[in-house]
Amino acid sequence: MTGRLASIASRMDRLYEFDREPVAPDKLQPGGKFAGLFAGEHVAATEFVIGAFFVLHGVTAKDLFIGLLFGNLLAVLSWTFICAPIAVRTRLTLYWYLRKIAGPGLTIVYNLANAVLYCILAGAMIAVSATAVGLAFGIKTPALTAVFPASPGWVLLTVVIGALFTALAILGFEQLSRFAEVCSPWIFIVFIAGGLAVLPRLGVRPGFGNFWQVATTKIWNGLPVAGQDKFGLWHVMFFAWFCNLAMHVGLSDMAVLRYAKKWTYGLFTAFGMYPGHMLAWICSGIMVAGVGREMNPGLMAYEALGLAGVGGLVLAGWTTANPTLYRAGLALQSISPGWPRWKVTLAAGAATTFLSCFPVFFVKLLDYVAIYGLVLMPIGAVVFAEHWIFPRLGIEQYRAEKRGWTFNGPALAIWMGTLAVCFLMPIHLYFRWLPGYLLALVFYVLLGLRRKN
Amino acid sequence: MKKRILAVLSLTCLAACLAAPFLHFLGKLSSEVDKQVFLAASVGWFVLAPLWARRR
Repeated sequence: MTGRLASIASRMDRLYEFDREPVAPDKLQPGGKFAGLFAGEHVAATEFVIGAFFVLHGVTAKDLFIGLLFGNLLAVLSWTFICAPIAVRTRLTLYWYLRKIAGPGLTIVYNLANAVLYCILAGAMIAVSATAVGLAFGIKTPALTAVFPASPGWVLLTVVIGALFTALAILGFEQLSRFAEVCSPWIFIVFIAGGLAVLPRLGVRPGFGNFWQVATTKIWNGLPVAGQDKFGLWHVMFFAWFCNLAMHVGLSDMAVLRYAKKWTYGLFTAFGMYPGHMLAWICSGIMVAGVGREMNPGLMAYEALGLAGVGGLVLAGWTTANPTLYRAGLALQSISPGWPRWKVTLAAGAATTFLSCFPVFFVKLLDYVAIYGLVLMPIGAVVFAEHWIFPRLGIEQYRAEKRGWTFNGPALAIWMGTLAVCFLMPIHLYFRWLPGYLLALVFYVLLGLRRKN
Repeated sequence: MKKRILAVLSLTCLAACLAAPFLHFLGKLSSEVDKQVFLAASVGWFVLAPLWARRR
């Protein structure tokens, strides 16, 4: 078992070899690059669903605007004060830093968990795109309570779109990534244009004079649709905060921010949170109100912008599924000895396509996003404690690396223990990660102190 | 020179994508025309922007 793990770890190391060394000073990037990168990264197909779900969950206009303002601010501050300082001090990706702290075995487990979560996320993107293509063939979008596919047509549609996305990813990931760069400003425009185009239908007069009155009565009127929980200010604020939990508190954006000249470059994530998330969610909320509060991203885009809107939704799904498939493939490559890139992408694409048939990941997207962040969050706490708190308390750092451990037992125990405690917490799913994070931090430090004494 | 022309044309298409729904909102364009202009400007962006990007 240990020999097998060592062999997997060594193969995985070879895969990530190109970023094994800390970023050299001449490779650091200016702030403008980060502004552009974050602005493009945070406008995806899922934004069509998230903003619309706030309407369906009966959020009031006041709660929405205040919640998004502060929730996104907390997300920006998490990037700036938690992720960026560690990234700038180490200049390493989370993969290599975690390897020093948790050992190669635990890093493999973390990578696999990430791969599965990525596949589910890409599956949700495919399902969102499927609602657009399904319009042309009269295939009904799944109900909000659906878990399994309701019709063979939906299965066929998701399989065809999934196969297409996978084939395109196999044929040329690099070229497609460059094309995605062209798509991202246009997709951002699709959201704003879609929201604007629907406003007259809702009764907003030119000049926005009655916008607030329409917003509070016809869009975010505080009334949830049947079967949906009522959300308030705290739900919106926490959702906006944890939406990218794995990236900021979970530290996976160390891969990007290690190229920053200063830790304050974390503030550039505001370009992704405010013009990105906040504006896109507001616009998709307006669009869903324009179609009578029916959760059907395809219909929302079509009613707002016609065929171009449908194209926008498909492109938004594809441009975000493409790098997600790549990341999942990279994580899977570690356990498939000698497999070429195309075969791994095919495996990740097949798993993703299978998952996309199940509408539960799309109709429960908000919960899935919460679970995604929750699962990876304890590892962020472990790294944070080891980086900042251990040296201040005189606890030895990087014991896994120094002693050649495959698994850092305390880190694994904290990860699993935190998830078990979070599972049992008698509070809403959205609020569990914060006490979970603090518990993970405190208990990992206590385990370190016990070892020291 | 060609790069600059491509940049101007691409950004004009993107601006037209935004202008069409705004004019519709102001009551100057019907919903149908808004959608047609948006589609045409989008096609323009996807033809020109990759050419511009290639020269950058």
